[in-house]
Amino acid sequence: MNFIQLFGRRSKSSAIAKQRLKLVITQDRFDVVNERVVTQLHRELAEVLAKYFEFSMNSVQISLKQQGNSYVLVADFPYRKATKDPS
Amino acid sequence: MGKVIVVTSGKGGVGKTTSTANLGSALALIGKTVAVVDADVGLRNLDVVMGLESRIVYTSMDVIEKQCELQKALVRDRRVEGLMLLAASQKNNKDDIQPEHMKSICERLSVDYDFVLVDSPAGIEQGFQNASAGADEALIVTTPDVSALRDADRMIGLLLNDGVEPINLVLNRFSPELVKSGDMVDVPDVLDLLSIDLLGIVPEDEGVIASTNRGIPLVYSENAPGAQAYRRIARRITGQQVPIPDFLHSKNFFSNIKEWFSRKK
Repeated sequence: MNFIQLFGRRSKSSAIAKQRLKLVITQDRFDVVNERVVTQLHRELAEVLAKYFEFSMNSVQISLKQQGNSYVLVADFPYRKATKDPS
Repeated sequence: MGKVIVVTSGKGGVGKTTSTANLGSALALIGKTVAVVDADVGLRNLDVVMGLESRIVYTSMDVIEKQCELQKALVRDRRVEGLMLLAASQKNNKDDIQPEHMKSICERLSVDYDFVLVDSPAGIEQGFQNASAGADEALIVTTPDVSALRDADRMIGLLLNDGVEPINLVLNRFSPELVKSGDMVDVPDVLDLLSIDLLGIVPEDEGVIASTNRGIPLVYSENAPGAQAYRRIARRITGQQVPIPDFLHSKNFFSNIKEWFSRKK
């Protein structure tokens, strides 16, 4: 046990609870809308990206990833090559 | 037409049944006509919490199977004018009832009563679907702990999806002392997390245990803090503007002394 642990202010458990809840509720809500919204988002993103490069459709993934105390929406479109003639 | 309100939570043990019994009684005490409906088929408890268990003859199942008229299945609470209970069947299970059955029962009750309070079972399965089927609005009961709050948020999502709105929050078993010592999530944080409107806060009140033992809802113990909270919430349900007290900064003699001593430490 170091000095800070011994004498420093212990962080309040309510603050920890709130932080944890924020993350878990964000993930829960994403999982719930996942099916409806993400399928649509997936289709629309693919339409736009297909103008500029080629990718394999079946390995496309959209997910929510935790990054420290927040979340980032990650869309993976495995790159194959640029489209010859971007219109 | 009366209003049908489903009382739900997601997690069990947070005070759905206690809140239904107390709010039903409190509404009747201010002159409203109320039907409380136990939707927890197979695990009914609203009857014992209200102390009416010995008088149940028919249940909602009998009404659905047309064994008896709806009015005849209702048990009158003799302590107050205008309060009726429709019990759930104990020998059936949740899948024996369909959402349209409950919807029809709620619709018929709302013709005769100002308020129909439906006590939902815990969980998000068939029992909850049945309980919320006929609801105009919802009351989410939660305690300020991580598992109850998480489940409450999930429940809010499901209700919104089913088009049940407005959804109001009753924060149960709130302890100002624990908030002050930093071990309970405070009210603004709860509202920030769940993003719904707060209808009321019920402070932790040990009197609930004795009142459940006796089968007399806490609202009849006029001075109990929990009773006063439920009475205020009932008035808000009827549309009255009743301020929510600031439990954290309300001073009474004992809390002053307690605080003074804890500062000395």
